[in-house]
Amino acid sequence: MIGLFHTTALLCYSVAAAFLGAAFAGRKNGVRAGLAIATAGGLLHLCGLVAYANVFGEAPLVGLAPSLSTLGFIIVVFLLLSALLSDSRPLLLIVLPLVALVVLAAVLLGLHPTGQPLAFRGPWFALHVLFAFAGFAGLTVSAAAGVLYLLQFRELKGKHLGRVFRFFPPLPTLDAVGKAGVFVGFPSLTIALILGWGWSMRFRHALSMEEAQVIWGVVTWIVFACMTAIRAPWLAARERRGALFSVVGFIIVVLAYVVLRVSPAARGGFL
Amino acid sequence: MSTITIVGLSHRTAPLEIRERFVIEGDAARAALRRLAAAGCGEAVLLSTCNRTELYLRADSHANARALAVRFLSGHAGINETDTDSYIYQLFDEHAIEHLFRVVSSLDSMVVGEAQIQGQVRTAYEMARGEGVLLGPVMPRLFETALRVGGRIRTETRLGTGAASIPSAALELARKIFGSLKGRSALVIGAGEMSELTVRCLRDEGVRNVTVLNRTDARAHELAMLLDARAITFAELPAALAAVDIVVTATSAPHIVLTREIVRNAIGGSRDRPLLILDIALPRDVEASAGELDNVFLYDIDDLSQVIEGNLQKRHSEIDAAQAIVKAEALGFQQWYRGREIVPVIRELRGWAEKLRAAEVERALKSMRNLSPADRTAVEALTKQLMAKVLHGPTTRLRDAYASNGDAGIAELARNLFGLDADTTNADNETMEVMQDEG
Repeated sequence: MIGLFHTTALLCYSVAAAFLGAAFAGRKNGVRAGLAIATAGGLLHLCGLVAYANVFGEAPLVGLAPSLSTLGFIIVVFLLLSALLSDSRPLLLIVLPLVALVVLAAVLLGLHPTGQPLAFRGPWFALHVLFAFAGFAGLTVSAAAGVLYLLQFRELKGKHLGRVFRFFPPLPTLDAVGKAGVFVGFPSLTIALILGWGWSMRFRHALSMEEAQVIWGVVTWIVFACMTAIRAPWLAARERRGALFSVVGFIIVVLAYVVLRVSPAARGGFL
Repeated sequence: MSTITIVGLSHRTAPLEIRERFVIEGDAARAALRRLAAAGCGEAVLLSTCNRTELYLRADSHANARALAVRFLSGHAGINETDTDSYIYQLFDEHAIEHLFRVVSSLDSMVVGEAQIQGQVRTAYEMARGEGVLLGPVMPRLFETALRVGGRIRTETRLGTGAASIPSAALELARKIFGSLKGRSALVIGAGEMSELTVRCLRDEGVRNVTVLNRTDARAHELAMLLDARAITFAELPAALAAVDIVVTATSAPHIVLTREIVRNAIGGSRDRPLLILDIALPRDVEASAGELDNVFLYDIDDLSQVIEGNLQKRHSEIDAAQAIVKAEALGFQQWYRGREIVPVIRELRGWAEKLRAAEVERALKSMRNLSPADRTAVEALTKQLMAKVLHGPTTRLRDAYASNGDAGIAELARNLFGLDADTTNADNETMEVMQDEG
């Protein structure tokens, strides 16, 4: 059941991305269809996560596969909210394939508990993980908006007034979505780090700065802080710099994860 | 039987210098409608725009309608009828219906998808109604259906989306750079027609502060008054450039008016807001390298034409879908239109059935002397209901069959079957009653 919900959600995300690609190529009603199918995928995804919690008696927050699935779902929620609140539906074109990959990875790795200690099932940990995922979802949406912003800016500046110009949202819309990603993601991550510190002190009575997850959390927090500072009102060209740094920041966070995952510091059990 | 006839000329059949002689507007158009009605054309609607002048007539015969229209148009344009003949076209009945639907949908326009034609057709129709030259149900229904078809096409297809003129292309670019234009400010350099049009479009989108600069102060002030703007001199140009979001320049200067240096000095090194410069002059007013400055977006006529071209291609891809809607609606209207011709026969049939019923009921009641008044009423009601039910099926099928085939032989067959006399009753007067009865 869990696998079926996730596989169907994955299919919906892929089909939605295809519709958006067709809309970009000029097909009518592609955006509306893509948005509807992505929403259906999100609902199925939610059913999959609820099914996981029912079957295994714990939230899908522990272990790589369940965590990836939850992260993918939160990103989809952020995406659909930004599509609803602003004219940024083309954002789905960039992010849905990424979400589909994340969900595919989760399905292939196997959606089942990893047998982690009881402490990982408590509210502290759950809140820590959820806020952290909200932070990463904000970062992802901000980076996607940044990519679209930079592409649209290039098209406008270079007078290439073709498909990208017509299909992508206006620059202020993309900047607003990018800013929203940062201003939602940064506080969420900050809360997650505080909760993580609290959880460590409560259950382990220590917090080692050499642990992979701590290093990653701090690196991500610094990236977010820089992304926020870059958008300070007194700085020139802050929209463009903000977009660029959102993309660069996302790449830094992903690279940091990969490096830490394969490093000796991760042997203590890193996501 | 009255016919629907269109006689006219358009951008497809006549060059501009000929079309402009046939333009009839305002009071002249009203007078023309009255003259046409007095000359015996029946009903008339006159549509006259820069790209077409068409007479929509409902007359007793095609030939009469055409002769009347050509005489009228020739007289107005001051061209002899033979020459007029070489420019005009005429369409009848189903072809006329489909043509009107294509016109109002902008499928027959010079720029497919243009929005003005719907309003122009509505104005023409309302003028005819105001002059009292639409006497029957057909022409009002025709035009109301046409306007509905135009609305349908604009809603259900993307035929009218995207900029198709220089001012609207400028607007499209401005929206991509600024999002909403509410509260933005603009500087107009040059006080010509294109500048004025472009700034009007920007004003409609919410651009609030407009500043005008022109070589001659008098013309600058004139345009400023027209646009509710502020006129400035060349000395104030750098300050104005630094303050505005959008610059529209369309002077007739043979040299560059805004150099890269002027733009760079005006915006300084730390401007965060984008500056959009629309150079719609020929030769260009703005040095091309000014567009390389940070946060400066510079577009000329060729760039705006690129936007228009892309949108027109998109519109053209919608033509088939729009055409399908036009054909379906035209068919629906034709079926209604043809169905009307069977109205006199249906009326006669009902009349014959009622006479028969009344005679039989009278004969029967004479032999039922003991019936109370209430019972007699009940018998009357019963027989009427019975007759209505018996006739409902045949009359509905008769009308549907005539609407599908338009064959006068069906009416003749119905007359023969029921032994009805041929009747020349005017279908227009009876149409609404019969249609209400039929529900």
